[in-house]
Amino acid sequence: MSEQNSLTYAKVNEDVIRMLDKPTVKWLALFLPVLGFVGFGMFCFLYQVYTGLGVAGYRHPVFWGVYITDFVFWVGIAHSGTLISAILYLFRASFRVSIYRIAEAMTVFAVLTAGLFPIIHLGRPWFFYWLFPYPNQRELWVNFKSPLLWDVFAVSTYLTVSSVFFFVGMIPDIAAIRDKVKEVPRKIAYTILSLGWKGSNWEWLHYSRAYLYFAAFATPLVLSVHSVVSWDFAMANLPGWHTTIFAPYFVAGAIFSGLGMVITLTIPIRKIFALEDYITLDNYDGMAKMIILTSLIVGYAYGCEFFMAWYSGSPAEWGQFYYRATGQYALFYWIMVVCNVLIPIPLWFKSVRRNIKALFIISIFINIGMWFERFNIIVISLSQGFEPGAWGIYKVSWVEMGITMGSFAWFFMFFLIFIKTLPAISISELKEILPVPKKEAKHHG
Amino acid sequence: MSQDKKGGIKRRDFLKIIGVAGGTAAVAGACSNPAEQIIPYVIPPEGIIPGVPNWYASTCRECPAGCGIIVKNREGRAIKVEGNPKNPINVGTSCAQGQAMLQGLYNPDRIRSPLSRNDLGRLEPQGWDNAQKMLTEKIEEVRKKGGSGRIVFLSDHNEGTLGNLIGDWMSALGGKHLSYEVYSYEPLKEANRIVFGIDKIPTYNIDKTKYLLSFGADFIETWLSPTLYTRQFSEMHGYKDKSMGKFVHVEPRASLTGVSADEWVSIKPGTEAVLALGIASVIVSEGMSVNGGGGFAGLLSGYSPEKVSAVTDVPVDTIKEIAKEFSSMQPSLAIGGGIANTSTNATETLVAINILNYVAGNVGRTIDFGNALTLSEVSTFKEISSLVDSMSGGEVDLLFIYNVNPVFTLPKSLGFEDALGKVPNVVSFSSFMDETTEKANLILPDSTTLESWGDFIPDGRVHGLIQPVMTPVFNTRSTGDVILSVTAQLEGLKGRYTQVSYYDYLRDSWKQVWTSVTGGGDFEAFWNAALENGGIYRDTTPVQVSASGNISGVSFGEPEFTGDGDFYFMAYPSYKYYDGRGANKPWLQELPDAITTGVWDSWVEIHPDTAKKLGVKLGDFVKIESPYGTIETQAYVYEGIRPDTLAVMIGQGHTSYGRYAKDRGVNPLSILPVSTDKITGSFAWLTTKVKASGTGRHAQFVQTQYTTTQHDRDVAQMVTLTELEHGLHQEEHEEPDFYPPVVYDRYHWGMSIDLQKCTGCGACITACYAENNIPFVGKELVAKRRDMAWLRIDRFFEKSDNKAGFETRFLPMLCQQCNNAPCEPVCPVFATYHNPEGLNGMIYNRCVGTRYCSNNCTYSVRKFNWFSYKLPDPLNWQFNPDVTVRDKGVMEKCTFCIQRINYAKDQARDKGRDVLDGEFQVACQQSCASGAIEFGNLKDPESRVSKLSHDERGYRVLNQLNTQPNITYLKKVKWDKA
Repeated sequence: MSEQNSLTYAKVNEDVIRMLDKPTVKWLALFLPVLGFVGFGMFCFLYQVYTGLGVAGYRHPVFWGVYITDFVFWVGIAHSGTLISAILYLFRASFRVSIYRIAEAMTVFAVLTAGLFPIIHLGRPWFFYWLFPYPNQRELWVNFKSPLLWDVFAVSTYLTVSSVFFFVGMIPDIAAIRDKVKEVPRKIAYTILSLGWKGSNWEWLHYSRAYLYFAAFATPLVLSVHSVVSWDFAMANLPGWHTTIFAPYFVAGAIFSGLGMVITLTIPIRKIFALEDYITLDNYDGMAKMIILTSLIVGYAYGCEFFMAWYSGSPAEWGQFYYRATGQYALFYWIMVVCNVLIPIPLWFKSVRRNIKALFIISIFINIGMWFERFNIIVISLSQGFEPGAWGIYKVSWVEMGITMGSFAWFFMFFLIFIKTLPAISISELKEILPVPKKEAKHHG
Repeated sequence: MSQDKKGGIKRRDFLKIIGVAGGTAAVAGACSNPAEQIIPYVIPPEGIIPGVPNWYASTCRECPAGCGIIVKNREGRAIKVEGNPKNPINVGTSCAQGQAMLQGLYNPDRIRSPLSRNDLGRLEPQGWDNAQKMLTEKIEEVRKKGGSGRIVFLSDHNEGTLGNLIGDWMSALGGKHLSYEVYSYEPLKEANRIVFGIDKIPTYNIDKTKYLLSFGADFIETWLSPTLYTRQFSEMHGYKDKSMGKFVHVEPRASLTGVSADEWVSIKPGTEAVLALGIASVIVSEGMSVNGGGGFAGLLSGYSPEKVSAVTDVPVDTIKEIAKEFSSMQPSLAIGGGIANTSTNATETLVAINILNYVAGNVGRTIDFGNALTLSEVSTFKEISSLVDSMSGGEVDLLFIYNVNPVFTLPKSLGFEDALGKVPNVVSFSSFMDETTEKANLILPDSTTLESWGDFIPDGRVHGLIQPVMTPVFNTRSTGDVILSVTAQLEGLKGRYTQVSYYDYLRDSWKQVWTSVTGGGDFEAFWNAALENGGIYRDTTPVQVSASGNISGVSFGEPEFTGDGDFYFMAYPSYKYYDGRGANKPWLQELPDAITTGVWDSWVEIHPDTAKKLGVKLGDFVKIESPYGTIETQAYVYEGIRPDTLAVMIGQGHTSYGRYAKDRGVNPLSILPVSTDKITGSFAWLTTKVKASGTGRHAQFVQTQYTTTQHDRDVAQMVTLTELEHGLHQEEHEEPDFYPPVVYDRYHWGMSIDLQKCTGCGACITACYAENNIPFVGKELVAKRRDMAWLRIDRFFEKSDNKAGFETRFLPMLCQQCNNAPCEPVCPVFATYHNPEGLNGMIYNRCVGTRYCSNNCTYSVRKFNWFSYKLPDPLNWQFNPDVTVRDKGVMEKCTFCIQRINYAKDQARDKGRDVLDGEFQVACQQSCASGAIEFGNLKDPESRVSKLSHDERGYRVLNQLNTQPNITYLKKVKWDKA
C-alpha cells in the first residue's frame, strides 16, 4: 500500500466522515431525478396492477421476460458484494478493504431491488404472501418442490444475512462518526446505530470473532443463492434451460456482473469524493483479474451450451441454440457475446487494468452484456420451446422499460442515501492496514 | 363510486382515492371487482331446477344445410348449442357456425325494437303496435295503387311452413316471393337435368365410396351440407381395418377441403370439364368402363390425355392414374360445383363430371336422387337480377327483406343498392343492422331461430322443427306472427288466417304432416315426439336414373374471363362466415382460419413465386384491381395455390352489421363482374382476371401460428398405408422412472385424437369457447398472441413426394393432462395439481400468476389472463354457470370439461354405478363432425379410448420427455399405394 503512505489515522477519519457532510447541490441534482424515475416506475407498476399484466410485453409462449431478467440481473449484481466482503476477507485479500463497504451496500440494495421483481411479475401481486409458508385457516401450504419457492427462501435468507453482515461491519465506524458529529438528530441516530460501541479490547475481541463467523456464514450463500436462482431455469424441461451447468455458470456470471457493477459504481465515487488514496489502482487491478477469470468461465459456458446442444442430437436443443445465434434475437445474443467475452480481453494487459477510463467503459459493457445474457436465456429459450406450433416472439413494452428504469433508480436512490449517511469506506479496516504510527515509520510491509 | 348529486367529492370517496393512490392499494386487494349479489328465485318458475339444464331440440338455420341442434338451457338462458344425435344430417355433431349461433342470439348489436325512418331520415324506435300499424298502412297504400308484382318478399331459403305462409301471403297481396340464396348451386341442378333428366340437387353418399374425386367441391367448408359430408368423408377416409378410401381434390387452390386430400391436383381455373372428360375418355379407351361409355363414347374420344393436359395443366400421368384408380377403386364418386370454382362453363363442368360418374358406373350407387335437397327450389339468379331491374324501373313499391343481405352478397356491379333506393318502401325483418337493413324504412326485427317457432325442410329425409329455447332477449317478434297479425288488419284479408299466432299456424300445418306420416292417431303425442326429436325423420327411396346420352347444347367450351390482368381471381366462400352472415360473431372472427391461421381480417393467398415477382411478403398489402373495382388486403404466401391465381375469402368487408363485422377486411364481391354461367344464367364466381401489385404498405399479419413446418420435431406424425399393411413394430417398453407410477382408482380420463380424421375445421375450438367461457380478445390482442383458446389446431406444411410437393398436417393441441406433468411441480402454491382421476387440476382461486407452469409446459397449451375480459351485454348471458369466469392474473387451460365429468359422475352416483363409456362427451368431441376425438375412462379396458390408446397408430406427442400424456394421437395415414 505504498500510495497510502501519506495517510494517517486522523486523515482517514476526516476523509470518510467528510463524505457525510450536508448534501451538496450536485448530490441533489443526482438525487431528485433518481426519485423521479422511482416515481415513474411505481406509476408503471400501479398501472400494471390496475390494468392487468397484459400491459407488459408478454406474448404466448414467452411468459417470463424483462422482469425476471431484471430479477436475475440484480441478484447477480448482489453477488460480488458478498464475494468481496466475505470471501476475500477469509482469504485476507487486502485489496478489498477500500471497496468492500461499497460492495456490501451494493449487495443489500441490489437484493432489495431484485426482491421486488418476483412480486412485480406476478399476475396477482396482491397475493404475493401466498408464496410464504405461513399457517393459515385454509390449511394451504406451499409446494416445496417448486424452484420458485426455493427462490423465496434463497433471496430472503440472502437479504437477511447480507444486511446483518453489512450492519455488523459498520458498527465501529458508526461509533467513530457518532463521536465526531455534533448536530442532535444525527448524533442520536448514530448513537442508536452504534449499539453503544466503545472500542474496548473486549469488544474488539468478540467483534472480530463475530465478523469472521458472519463472513464464513455468508460465503456459501454466494454460491447457493445464485445456484438456486439458476435452478428456476435448470429445473424446467425447456431446451436452453434444462442443463446441469447452470449453477456454476450463473454463479460465475453473477460475480462477473457484480464486479462490473462495483467498478461502475466506485469509479465515479472515487472521483467525486477524491478517494484516489483509498481506492487504488491496485484494487482495480485485482478486480480486473477476477473479471478476466469469470469472463473466461462464462465464455466457456456459452461454448459448452452449444457443444452440448449439438452433441445431444436433440432437434429441440440444437434448434434452440441455432435460433439463439441466428434467429430474431440474434442481435441480442451477439451483444452478449461481444460484451462478456470479447470486450474484457484487453484486461489481459496490465496497462488496461490500471487505466481507469478503460475499466469504466469495459465495466459498463459488462453490465449491458450480463443483462442481455439473462434476457437471452429467459426469452429466447421460451420463444422456441418443444412444440413449434406455439412459437412466438416477445416484445418489451414501455411499462416494462419504465419499471426497469425505476429499478435502477431505486437502487441508486438507496446508494445515494447511503453515501450521505453511512461510512462508504471502512474506517476501522482501513486503519488496520495502515502502518502503525511510530516516530520512525521507516520499514513496513 | 357513487355520484354525489351536489357535485364535489364525498369524504368516503376521497379516502378511497387516497387509498388507491397509496401503494397499499396494490396489496390490499382494492383491485378486485365489486361483489355481486346472488339473488335466489323468490317464486321458482316451473320446469326449472337450478343447476339442472333443460335441453331443447331445434334446427340450425345458419346455413341451408338444416342440421339438427339441441340447445342447453340453464335457468332460462340458452348457453350451449350441440348437434342433435337424432338428426340424420349431422348426427349429433356441429360446425363452428352452429356453435356460434348463440352469439347471434346474444349479439349486442341486435336490433332491439322495431324501428321506423322519420322525416329526418333517421331510424327511431317504435312500439310493435305502432310499427305493425305502419306496415298495414304501407301495404294498403300499395294495394290501392293496384297492379301485381308491386310487392316483393325477398327471403332466404325457407322451405317449410314459413316459406308457405310467405308464399300464400304474397299471392293474397298480389305480390311475389323470391327465396334468395347466395350459393344456389343452379348449375348442379341443370347438369343433372341435362344428363339424368332430374332437375334436382341429389345427396351424395361419400361414405360409401372408396375413391372420391372432387372438382373443387369444398364439402368440408360450405358445399351443400358440410357437416353431413365431413361426417361421411371421415367414414370413407378414416383408417379402419387396414384400409381407407382415397380422396383426390382438383382445384386451382388447396382449400381446407383440398388439404385433407391424399392428392391435391392443381388445375387451370375453369378447365375442370376438360379434365373430367379426359379422365372419362381414358376409362373408356382403356376398357375400364362398366358401360363402355354408353352414349358418350363418341364425345369422349376427342379428349385424349395429351390434349387435356395441354388445356388443364394437369400432367398426362396424373390423368391416367386418376382414371385407373377411379375405375378400379369401386364404388367411386366424382363431385363438383364448389362455389369458388364456378366459371362461365359451370354447368358444362358438372355435365362432364356426371358423364365421368356415369362412365365409371357410379350413378345410382353413390348419388342419391331420392333424397334431393330442397335447395334445388330456391330462386334463380336470373329471377334475382330481374328483380333488380324491376326495382330500378320503379316497378316495386314494397320490398320485404327477410334473413338476406343482398346489398352485401350481390356483386356491386349488379346495382342492387341503387335499385333499392328506387323502392319507396323497404321493410326489413332482420335482427341485425346489416347493409341492406340499414337502408330500410321500416324494421320489424325477427326473433332469432333460438327464440321462435318454425320448421325447415333441408332434404327429403328431414323435416326439422324449430322451437324457442328461451324467451326473446330483446323486444323482437317472430315474422310469422307479424304476418298473421298484419294480415288480420288488411282490407278483405281479415279472415284469411284463422290462427292468432304463428305457433298455432305451425301446428295446423303440422297436422297435415301428421296425417301424411302417421295417417291419424294422437296429434299431441306426435307433436310432442317431434318436438323432442327436433322434427321428423323419414327414409327415402333411391330413384333410379339413367343418362340420356343426349347432351346437345353442351359444347364444353373455354371459360370466359373478364379483365386483362395476369391473375385469375378466386372469391371463395368461408366456412366461418358462409356468405358473410357469420362475420358478426366474435367466436367465428377469432377462430383461426385453418390454412393461414389468420383471424379477424381478410387476406389474399399468393403463391411464393408470384409473391417474389410482385415483391411482397407475408403481411404486405396487395392491391387487386379488376375492371369493376379495387381491393387492398394483406398477402398470405401459400404454396397451395397456383402461381397465376389469387384467392380472397368471402364474408368480410362489411360496412355495417355490428361492431364485430364492421370495417374488417375486404369484400371480394365488390370487384366481381356480373358474369353468369352460360347455360343456367346463374352467377359465376370465377370469371375475373385481375391485376395485382404491392402497395409498399406492411402490417403484421395477425395469425395464431407463426411457424409453417414442424422443424423436425415430429409432433404431428404420419405413417404410410404400406407400413400399416405390413404391421407396425410396436415399441411399448416401460421407460425407467425415478418415481413410482401414479395409481388411479376408478377413473383415469383420457382422450384420443385421430389425425387422419381431423380436417382442421375448428368446430371443436368454437365449442370449447362456448362451453368453457373462454373470452374472445379481438384482433389487437391476438396480434400479441393473447388469444385465450384452450384448444388450438397446429397446422404444418411438410415437404412431400406427392403431386403438390407438400402435405398438410393438423394437430389439435390442448392440455395433454400428463401423468407426469411438468406444470405441476413448478407451481409454488399448488394452484395446479394432479387430481385422483388423472387430470391436471387448475385452481384459479389459488393461482398467483407466476406463469412458471406455462413456461414448463412442453406443449405450450396454457393461457394466461392478461386482463379482465368484459363481454358487452348480453353476450355474457351465454356464460356457462358451471364454469368459473376467470379474472386477470390467473392461468387457465383445458380441463377436459371437468364440469361435464362431474355432472356425469353425479348422475351415475345417483344411479349407483360408475360412469359408462360414451355416457357423456366433452365439448370438442361432441362437436367434431369427423369423429376424430374420443374421450373416456382409461381404467376401463373396454372403453373406446382405452382401446385406441393401444392402437397401432397411437403415439404420444413428445413422448421422449416422459410427460406421459393422457392424450393418444393416431398418426395420419399417407396414401402410398400405387
